[in-house]
Amino acid sequence: MTGMAEQQATISKLSGEIMQEHRSLWSDTWRHFVRHRLALISLITMVVVASAIIVGPFFISYDPERIDFAAKNESPSLAHPMGTDELGRDQLVRVLEGGRISLAVALAAVSVAMTVGVLFGAVAGYAGGWVDNALMRVVDVFYSLPGLFILILLVTIIGPGFLTIVVAIGILRWMGAARLVRASFLSLKEKEFVESARAAGAGRVRIIFRHILPNALSPIIVAGTLGIAGAILTESALSFLGLGFQPPQATWGRMLQEAQRSVLNDGHWWRGFFPGLMIFISVLSVNFIGDGLRDAVDPRRIQQ
Amino acid sequence: MSRYVIRRTLQAIPLLIGISIIIFGMIQMTPGGPLAVNENTSARGRVTEEDLQRLREKYGLDDPLYIQYLNWSRDAAQGDFGTSFNTGLPVLTMIGERLPTTLLVMGLAFGVTLILSIPIGILAAVKRYTIFDYLTTSISFLGIAIPSFWFAIMLMYLFSFTLGWLPSVGLSDPRADHTGLAGIWDRITHLIMPVSVLALTSTASITRYVRASMLDVISQDYVRTARAKGLSEQVIVWVHALKNAAIPIVTVLALEIPDLFIGAVIVESIFAISGMGRLFIESANLRDYPVLMGVLTISAGLVIFFNLVADVIYGMLDPRIRYT
Repeated sequence: MTGMAEQQATISKLSGEIMQEHRSLWSDTWRHFVRHRLALISLITMVVVASAIIVGPFFISYDPERIDFAAKNESPSLAHPMGTDELGRDQLVRVLEGGRISLAVALAAVSVAMTVGVLFGAVAGYAGGWVDNALMRVVDVFYSLPGLFILILLVTIIGPGFLTIVVAIGILRWMGAARLVRASFLSLKEKEFVESARAAGAGRVRIIFRHILPNALSPIIVAGTLGIAGAILTESALSFLGLGFQPPQATWGRMLQEAQRSVLNDGHWWRGFFPGLMIFISVLSVNFIGDGLRDAVDPRRIQQ
Repeated sequence: MSRYVIRRTLQAIPLLIGISIIIFGMIQMTPGGPLAVNENTSARGRVTEEDLQRLREKYGLDDPLYIQYLNWSRDAAQGDFGTSFNTGLPVLTMIGERLPTTLLVMGLAFGVTLILSIPIGILAAVKRYTIFDYLTTSISFLGIAIPSFWFAIMLMYLFSFTLGWLPSVGLSDPRADHTGLAGIWDRITHLIMPVSVLALTSTASITRYVRASMLDVISQDYVRTARAKGLSEQVIVWVHALKNAAIPIVTVLALEIPDLFIGAVIVESIFAISGMGRLFIESANLRDYPVLMGVLTISAGLVIFFNLVADVIYGMLDPRIRYT
């Protein structure tokens, strides 16, 4: 009798191993993502940075624009954890305020880039033939543009504003997404499920957006995440060159530019150290998150 | 092979034309046009309306855009990029004055990248999962994320302000004696920081690339065969494995050169070095169209050229690829 019970237990144990509980693609991705330790730490870091930037300024009693000559050029202390600048403005609150613009620009620019890239790639990949050929030559042309030069040109010519900077960064970074989406579309459009959708009478737009695009999303999400890191660096570089946002608006790059003289002539290291540190931490974290996502959505990983 | 090179070169021409059209269109979007700077001074009575009209005629600014573009491209194809609105000098002369400086900084940074990233990347792959591997992988991760301008300022704070070891501005000290060894030493001290800053990002990313590409090769059957034959580990790694790992590495190295060129813009701006980057930013502020067109076209040409070089080297190194 014990043999029966044992058998039963073995069977249920084995079948439990075979029968996988149903999980959606995203919960599956999440399960693998959290196993990537660095990616998880980075995600937590970014959540902390983002919340500090969003709600932080409300909890700090200093006004980012308030000038206080009694407290100018102070090194970091408890009252001013990141020190003060030559006008006595608190650096911490300025760094948090600046982060709002820096991160908002990066997110918006990547959204622009991804939207353009996805539309471009989807049309090229779905249409194929000469349309594909022509659109991909456009991608080649944009790839060969000297990016930062064009950005400097656009911003100097049109004038630095949120929209200009976002669009300018966006139109220099969409080509990667376009190539990825095109490649997925080229293979996916031949699959049976597309054929069946077409047989069921779905229109071209519906097939592209409703049927093919969801299956082509994961590489785009990875590319988009990594793109945020690039966009943060690009905006900072532009602001650092004095061509991005103009004072009194502070972005991390702009603060570094303003700090340059004070660090190098007066040795006020905190003026340059903290804004740069924030750029560094954000870029590093976003890179790790992107890496973790890439591993998590990789279909080959499931077979291992 | 030579047919392939010729075909790819011919393909580059429409690409360059497409790029020049886009750049030309972008520059023409300028509100106010190239004479805007002069128009502002005309309000103060220094430049008359007749003067402006004469300038417009001289530079053909009243012609329709496509005529202006055709004129420009006809001259550019013959090596004439026009004269600067600002200095009146030929654009090529101005670029010729600045380009060597940029190329010097770039070339040195490229050299540093090669010398560091290839051996480090190979060692990290060979000694996979050792402390050396973890250390170099982490440092290269940091190196990719670090903003070069921040790194530069912190280096300058440390080596110029605090320690006073290195000069932080320009490429040479005008007060220094520029003869003999002292002059060379002066140059070297000025170059150390700009070159390190420029080389950091590319070294970090190439090291990662070399490691990955080496790991790919090292696990292949023919490497195991070489090991089974009893070859020494040195020969296996540096001769057998490296030969195949080098193929993608060379390509990435060629593609790194345009990035270094762009990176030089930022480095020049921080260290007050008057190279191409500074020329470009100055010209953008002055709306000096001919110089802008010249710098942009030459930079784009550089990108295309090194893409071509990457493709051709790839074909030469990898006999598995057959071009028709």
